Amino acid sequence: MSHDGRAPEQEVLRRFERDRREGDVRPAVGTRGEPARWRRAVRDATVALAGRDWSDSRWSFIFGDDTGYTRPGGSEDQVVEANRRMRGAPDVPQQIQGPVMHPAVWTWEVPLYFWFGGIATGSAFVAAASDLVGDHDSAKVARMVALAAAVPSAPLLIKDLGRPERFLYMLRIFKPRSPMSMGAWCLSFFSSAAGAAVAADLLGREREARAAGAVTAFFGTYLGSYTGVLLSATAVPVWARSKLFLPPIFVCTAVATGAATTRLALAATGTKVGHPTRTALGTVETAAMATELVLSTVNEKRLGRLGESLEQGRPGTLFKLAKWGVRTGLALRFARKRGGPWTHHVASLLYILSGLAFRFAWVGAGRTSAADDEAVARTARTRSHPLTHDPA
Amino acid sequence: MSELAITRPGAERMGFFTDTTTCIGCKACEVACKQWNDLPADGSAFRKGGSYDNTGALGAATWRHVRFVENTQPSEAARADARARLAEGGGGHVPSIPAVSELEGAGSGATAEDLPDLVQWAEDNGTEEVDVAGAVADMERWVFMSDVCKHCTNAGCLDACPTGALIRTEFETVVLQADVCNGCGYCIPSCPFGVVNRDQFDGRAAKCTLCYDRLEDGLEPACAKSCPTDSIQFGPYDELVETAKGRVTALHERGVTDAYLYGAGDADGEQLAGGLGAFFLLTQPPERFGLPAWAESPAQENVPGATLAGLTAAAVAGVLTMASLMASHRRHRTRPRWKRSV
Repeated sequence: MSHDGRAPEQEVLRRFERDRREGDVRPAVGTRGEPARWRRAVRDATVALAGRDWSDSRWSFIFGDDTGYTRPGGSEDQVVEANRRMRGAPDVPQQIQGPVMHPAVWTWEVPLYFWFGGIATGSAFVAAASDLVGDHDSAKVARMVALAAAVPSAPLLIKDLGRPERFLYMLRIFKPRSPMSMGAWCLSFFSSAAGAAVAADLLGREREARAAGAVTAFFGTYLGSYTGVLLSATAVPVWARSKLFLPPIFVCTAVATGAATTRLALAATGTKVGHPTRTALGTVETAAMATELVLSTVNEKRLGRLGESLEQGRPGTLFKLAKWGVRTGLALRFARKRGGPWTHHVASLLYILSGLAFRFAWVGAGRTSAADDEAVARTARTRSHPLTHDPA
Repeated sequence: MSELAITRPGAERMGFFTDTTTCIGCKACEVACKQWNDLPADGSAFRKGGSYDNTGALGAATWRHVRFVENTQPSEAARADARARLAEGGGGHVPSIPAVSELEGAGSGATAEDLPDLVQWAEDNGTEEVDVAGAVADMERWVFMSDVCKHCTNAGCLDACPTGALIRTEFETVVLQADVCNGCGYCIPSCPFGVVNRDQFDGRAAKCTLCYDRLEDGLEPACAKSCPTDSIQFGPYDELVETAKGRVTALHERGVTDAYLYGAGDADGEQLAGGLGAFFLLTQPPERFGLPAWAESPAQENVPGATLAGLTAAAVAGVLTMASLMASHRRHRTRPRWKRSV
């Protein structure tokens, strides 16, 4: 339930009490944030009203066998049929009294992190590829870009936590089923490897730098794609129903923004026009962004009614802006010769900004979609109807 | 077992059976829950869209929520019937609905249009002589449902939690350990039922624990204890399911043929999230209560496919990047020296 940004009375009182005590919020028993250490006065004693097997619940039960409340021994099929009839009908009832589900509470830090993580992934790929073709100077620049993009990622994610001081709890367990857990681990490994690679570069240890760069790119395959999995693995209709499209879309954005950033970084550090790596990066960013545009358009068409959340409101505007940014970039690419290298720089910049807009649009669309009770209910119905539909 | 779980020999699955046909909407369960778990009030805003329900939804500080399901639109049949009765000269006087002025005065943002359109209905018919009791009766029944965390067999929140704050207890319920949660918020969109939420003042997520602390001490959960009509029943899961199935049979025999179970008694492959530890007896389609007609742990459903798609795409992108660089360098090497611009 929303508070309209105002603290409820209880919270105001709680804060007043807290301030009055001048910050002494020590709990009566134990240490804050840890389980209290206390013992029962009498060992193994029961509390008042406690009974074995929760006999107090039986005691408070008002429907006995003689009340006609329930009729034991009814037919199982009757219940199965009743459930199918009410839950498996093809149509969503006219009135839906939501909210059916809660939208994600993530704020701007998360899409911004997706963007940074994507750039880091893309440039890690470029670094590894440059090393393989023997262009170690470009690889060095790409490794720097990867580290520079990876560095703000963790602080952004920590800032988004409700309890930032507990950020290390993310590495408390290793949980393959949770993309958030795997992502936290992957980001740690990626950042460490990226840092090691740049450190090795600075120390002049080329072989170690290349090895660390390869490790970074290896973790990049997950870092660049898991963000899409993270969104798909929720109950939010527009995210979940794009599960096979969202991770590839995010990979495309990652590679394009990474290649574009590295390309600009190479240009800034004096790599000349016509340098094969610089030329290749132009091709990579353009191909990746074009693929991204195609995948997004196909996905939006495929989603149908659910795709509305990608068209309306602020996410819709961002999505449109992003698409036009990509189209302009593509046009600038093909209108080369005339404007000289600057047209390509503008194209790279447009790809990078479009990537940012795409990330914000996708996260925002999830919020709209989850708040759209009809979309949530309809998505559920389309799943339940074929399952529980009686063919007879 | 990929779940973090507490096991104890002899412990069995415990659950809730909430029977909406006996709920009177007293909200005693909500109050008992808040008292026992020391939860603050959410403030008193009426639910958007016109409802006397002033809690709104489940959330970080509301672990039991009595949902009021009001049919705000009289059906076509009800309208026709009322028109006929008006034509016959029957009917009474429309009293002003006190809530309208109260709501407007309280600044809740609710207007007359948001409320059951009895007034509108009278105006449409151009008279104040309307049989209110009849009109209200003709509107579909006002039903209540005490909503709670479903303690799913395949729990989305539990699968999503990266810190291990959410665990499965020995009673096969799903409990959020407040001392572990770091407020990442991933459980929130992972719950298909909109149960768990993050407390914006506390920073951590919170939800029903099925009174884990009371269960450990042999007491039934606070809401079930306080329920005056036994709409909320607590007990061993298997026993509850038996009772519930018998209840459906009994209701069908009495002519309530719309009665069905939400979350239990389904055929294999049709269960909601593998079967709900807290299930419900409803008499209207689930959407009327804000419940999805189908649910599954989103992580279990989507993670393998999405991860495979993502990793494949990333591998392809990596290989293509490499191929592009190799091709560019080869072209560069084979190009005549005078054409090279570097």
